[in-house]
Amino acid sequence: MAENRDDFIIAIRYALLKKGAKQKFSLFFLILLSISIVILDKFSLPFMSPVRSVLNDIVYHVSVVSSQPLKLRKYLADKVEKHYDLVSENKFLKEEMDYLRAQKFNNAYLASENDMLKDALDFSVQTGFIQDFSVAAKVILDQKSPFLKSLLINKGTKNDIEKGMTVFSKDYLVGTVIETNYLTSRVLLLTDLNSKLPIVIEGTDVNAILDGTGNKLNLKLSYLPENYKIEANKIIFTSGKDGFLTPGIAVAKSYLNDKQKIFIKLLSDPDQALIVNVTNGQINK
Amino acid sequence: MYYFRAIKEKIFTSLPIIFLYFFSFFHFQTPEVGKINFFSFNFSMILIYYYVLKFPANLGFGNIFLAGIINDTVIGTPLGTTSLSYLTLSFFTSYIRNATLRSVLSVEWFTFIPALFFSNLVYLIIINNFSHMSFYYIELLQKTFFTFLFFPIFHYIFSQYEHLISKD
Repeated sequence: MAENRDDFIIAIRYALLKKGAKQKFSLFFLILLSISIVILDKFSLPFMSPVRSVLNDIVYHVSVVSSQPLKLRKYLADKVEKHYDLVSENKFLKEEMDYLRAQKFNNAYLASENDMLKDALDFSVQTGFIQDFSVAAKVILDQKSPFLKSLLINKGTKNDIEKGMTVFSKDYLVGTVIETNYLTSRVLLLTDLNSKLPIVIEGTDVNAILDGTGNKLNLKLSYLPENYKIEANKIIFTSGKDGFLTPGIAVAKSYLNDKQKIFIKLLSDPDQALIVNVTNGQINK
Repeated sequence: MYYFRAIKEKIFTSLPIIFLYFFSFFHFQTPEVGKINFFSFNFSMILIYYYVLKFPANLGFGNIFLAGIINDTVIGTPLGTTSLSYLTLSFFTSYIRNATLRSVLSVEWFTFIPALFFSNLVYLIIINNFSHMSFYYIELLQKTFFTFLFFPIFHYIFSQYEHLISKD
C-alpha cells in the first residue's frame, strides 16, 4: 500500500519537476507563472494594462496575418465567381446596348430619373443621423468562441475610441466596444451571452432587457411583465434607460418561424459586417 | 548538403510547434450541420496530448505556455487561462507517460478523458472566479466531446508523420 503511494508521488514529482533534454522550463515553474499571470490580470495592477494593450496589438495583427491564407482562398473563389458573373453580365449588357441603340434615348426619362434621385437625396438629409462622434472601422477578425462572440476592429485609442462606444453596421446597432488598445478594439456583439440591452417594444410601453444567446435569430427578452406575450413583427427599440444610447434605435424584430413560434432576431447581421461605424451612442437625435 | 538536410530536419521536427502557434493565432470556423457543429474540436489539445505523451522533446512546455497566452489574447479570456489549462493537460499527460509501461492506442484514448476533464475544469474555474464572463456550456461540451472523438484519427496522422520523418 505504502509502496503504491510512493510510486504515485514519484510519478507526480517526476511529471512536475523533470525537465527533458530539450526543455528549458519545468512544468511546475510554468504552472506557477500562469497562476501569477491570471492573478495579476485579475487585480489589474497598473503595469498590466499597457502590457496587455501592447500584447493585444501584436497578437491581433499576427492573427490577422495568419488568417490571410483562408481569406485568399475565399478571395480567389469570389474572383472566379465574379468572373463568370461578369461574362454573363457582359453578354446581357451587349444585348441591352444593341436594344438601346435601336431606340433613341429619351431626355424625359433622364430628367425624371434625376428628379427621383434628388428626392432620394432630400430624404436622406431629413432622416440623417446626427452624431457627435463617428469613426468608420474595418472588421479585421471575427471571433466566435464558447466565451465571446466578438469582432476586432482596426481602430483603437489612437482614433479616440473608448470603452462603451456603440458600433453600427449598415445603420443598425451590432454591439459595444469592450476593450480598447492603441491600434485595435474589441466589439462585444449583441448576440453574446454577456450583452444586455434595455429595450422597449413597438406600439407598447413594455420595457425589457434584450439578452444575447449566441444566436442572431433567437435572442431573449428578460424582465418582461408577467403574462405578457410578444406578438410577431414587432420592432424592438432601445429604451435609452442605460443613459447612454438614445431611445428609439431599432435593434431587433419579433418573427414567426417555420413552426409558428415567435422568436426575436437582430436587424443587423454581425456575420456580414465588414465596415462598421463606431459612435459615442448619441445617435438618431 | 549537410546544412540543407539539417534545415529540413529542423523544419520537420518543428512542424508541431508551428501548428500549435498557428492554431493559437487563427481559429478556424467550421460549417454547422443542423444544430450540432460536428467539426468543432480543439486541435491544440489533441496536438499537446499526443506530443507530450509520445515525443515530449518535440513540443516544449515553454511553447505550450506561450501558445496559451496567445490564445487568451485572441479569444479575450483572462490572460493565463488557456496556458494553465494546456499545462494541466501536459501535467496529466506526463503523469500518464510516467505511470504506464506499454503504450496502446485504446488506453491513450481513454486516458484522454480525465486529461480533458481536468484541463477544462481548470479553464472553467478560472473563467468563473477570475472574470465576469458567461459562456456557452453546450458549445464547450460539444467541442470537448469531438476533441475526444477525433483523437484516434489524429493519433494515426501524427504517428505516420513521425514515422516518416524518423525514416528520413
